[in-house]
Amino acid sequence: MEFTDKHVQGLKDLLYKMADDLLILGHRNSEWTGLGPILEEDIAFSSMAQDKVGQSLAIYEILNQLGESDPDTVAFTRNANQFHCSKLVELPIGEYDFSLVRHFFYDHADAIRFEMLATTVVEPLQMVAKKFKGEIKYHTMHADVWMKQLAEGSDESKMRIQNAINETFALALGMFEPSDFEAELQEAGIFDGEFVLREKWLNKVVPLLESFGYSVPDATTTIPEFGGRKGQHTEYLQPLLDEMTEVFAIDPGADW
Amino acid sequence: MKIVSLDPRVTRSNIDENTQEGVLHEKEHFQTYEVFEQKKRGTHHIHAGSVHAPSADLALVFAKEQYSRRGQCVNLWVVKTADIAATDYDDADIFETTSSKLYREPDAYKVMDRINAFKERQKSN
Amino acid sequence: MYGNGYIENDGKPVNSLTVNEDPIKLAAFEARIAAGDKIEPQDWMPAEYKKQLIRMMEQHAHSEIIGALPEGTWITRAPGFRRKLALMAKVQDEIGHGQLLYSAAETLGKSREQMTNDLINGKSKYSNVFNYPAKTWADSAVIAWLIDAGAIVNQLANSKGSYGPYCRALERICAEESFHLKYGHDNVVFLATGTPVQRAMVQDALNRWWEPIMHFFGPSDKESIHTETLMRWKVKMGSNDDMRNMFLDMYVPKIWDLGLTLPDPNLHKNEETGRWEYTEPNWEVFKQVINGNGPCNKERLAVRRKAEENGRWVRKALMKPEEKYVNPLA
Repeated sequence: MEFTDKHVQGLKDLLYKMADDLLILGHRNSEWTGLGPILEEDIAFSSMAQDKVGQSLAIYEILNQLGESDPDTVAFTRNANQFHCSKLVELPIGEYDFSLVRHFFYDHADAIRFEMLATTVVEPLQMVAKKFKGEIKYHTMHADVWMKQLAEGSDESKMRIQNAINETFALALGMFEPSDFEAELQEAGIFDGEFVLREKWLNKVVPLLESFGYSVPDATTTIPEFGGRKGQHTEYLQPLLDEMTEVFAIDPGADW
Repeated sequence: MKIVSLDPRVTRSNIDENTQEGVLHEKEHFQTYEVFEQKKRGTHHIHAGSVHAPSADLALVFAKEQYSRRGQCVNLWVVKTADIAATDYDDADIFETTSSKLYREPDAYKVMDRINAFKERQKSN
Repeated sequence: MYGNGYIENDGKPVNSLTVNEDPIKLAAFEARIAAGDKIEPQDWMPAEYKKQLIRMMEQHAHSEIIGALPEGTWITRAPGFRRKLALMAKVQDEIGHGQLLYSAAETLGKSREQMTNDLINGKSKYSNVFNYPAKTWADSAVIAWLIDAGAIVNQLANSKGSYGPYCRALERICAEESFHLKYGHDNVVFLATGTPVQRAMVQDALNRWWEPIMHFFGPSDKESIHTETLMRWKVKMGSNDDMRNMFLDMYVPKIWDLGLTLPDPNLHKNEETGRWEYTEPNWEVFKQVINGNGPCNKERLAVRRKAEENGRWVRKALMKPEEKYVNPLA
């Protein structure tokens, strides 16, 4: 089927939110590099941060093919209100409990989103989804093992993770904020949409967490933290961007 | 005094410059697991090193990134270091092979001289 | 990232510390090393050999972990995807190297916990160079290129040393360091051949880092204490001055090639002797910094303390005090 302007707009919106989520979370998670709780975990967490930034680059490259600026310009020169990331990913790293729970929630959503995109009609996106399948599988494996181990660990660890789940759940639901192009994306076979993704995600993470012994807030009564997809962000994103672009901004035209 | 660092991550961490915290207790870093890596199917798993981990599950998760984040790997094994039995280097002489065990080696079987001599004899008959 | 540094020996000559060793075992041990054979953790070894090796591997491991901090200063600010990804991977590698080296040291019976405690208590040392601040992005480039280059000179030599686990760790480490060196060089080249601002930035970084880099290989042979026994045991694999000379020989021409200058008017190669001549760096400063008075010593250790403290609840939740700890095998 021939794409209309609305389809292309919808596709770009989808790509931006995916890439922005990946970049910002990868950036956040890289803050742990060298400061993690166990040397081996430090290495693992850093790899996953790199994977995320690398995946964001691949998606910005697709956007570039669709006529958007090159990845460095897009990532390193926009302001917060031009970013489409969810609020979940922009919050500071906090303590390791929050970082792990965010990682668990995000990576399961990411895995399902990419799985859904493995059959998209947008060929370069389909290829990206296939290319990163292994990386993402490791991410969810890592997250699951940690959630399980900390549930079985001490009273403190179980309580910390439980608290982080409670505090993060609404933010996590914010990942599935519908775009203005849900119908177009579906009809064109680009993407089945945020609602489908959200249902699949809930069906995955809720039983999993419950099987580890955690409780999960009720998704039907939790008010999701929306706004990020529309450029309305927390107070944390602009300072993050100022920091990330500090060197680049010295001379955006220079080759770094 | 809180540290104000050139590293924004450090500044955000709110660290007291005279902090005395962070002293570790024994076994806080768990046990070690030995890691064996198979580079491709059909080859042996080869010892790559060790990781500190509280369980086999996490040892595998850790080993994957510490030992296989570059280059090929198709399979990993981890085993608790404590579960490995090893010979003693002082007993390395048990591996020395003596000349009286040449019968185990292919080189010990040289029959061409005998065959040639036999052929010579046949010819002269 | 570790230089020839300071395998100091509490001022005592090593020779005097072998007098209590069984002469027959000592002779066999030395013969094995002389024959180019490796020593494995379970072998008999002189107490002093063990002590010096633990000290060296531990210092090396600490240098990796602390070395992640100056470069880590720029991890959230690397300009552009290419640099961002590479810097993350490089800092990660340093942590990975620390992990490998602690494991190698553990084979001789000192636990990771003890080593970490000695680090944060200031009891054991790490490469002095990491007590200097990474003020600009260009500092991270200079570190990645030249400190890693210096470390490679040292580590390649050490990988031919006598202790099996250290050699094995170094083999893996050296392979990864070659990525660091390439990345660092690429980074410096982009700055040096870039805009006037970029060029000024890298020149400034080079000026500030030159003395710490010269210090990196340890005090001049004239000043350093007895090392013959350590050389015979293949613990120390080259003299400080030889390592420094090798580094200067390989990298000064590459630096000059980019039109950059070094803050030592006397620096030149004596074509007759084939050795580099330079203004002796200030070893008083070196000693001051080692003894905790460098610009960043305090911060580096406080950051490590905080990182250990932050991770404690995670480790406590998972540790099993009833299980027996065994040294890693190899």
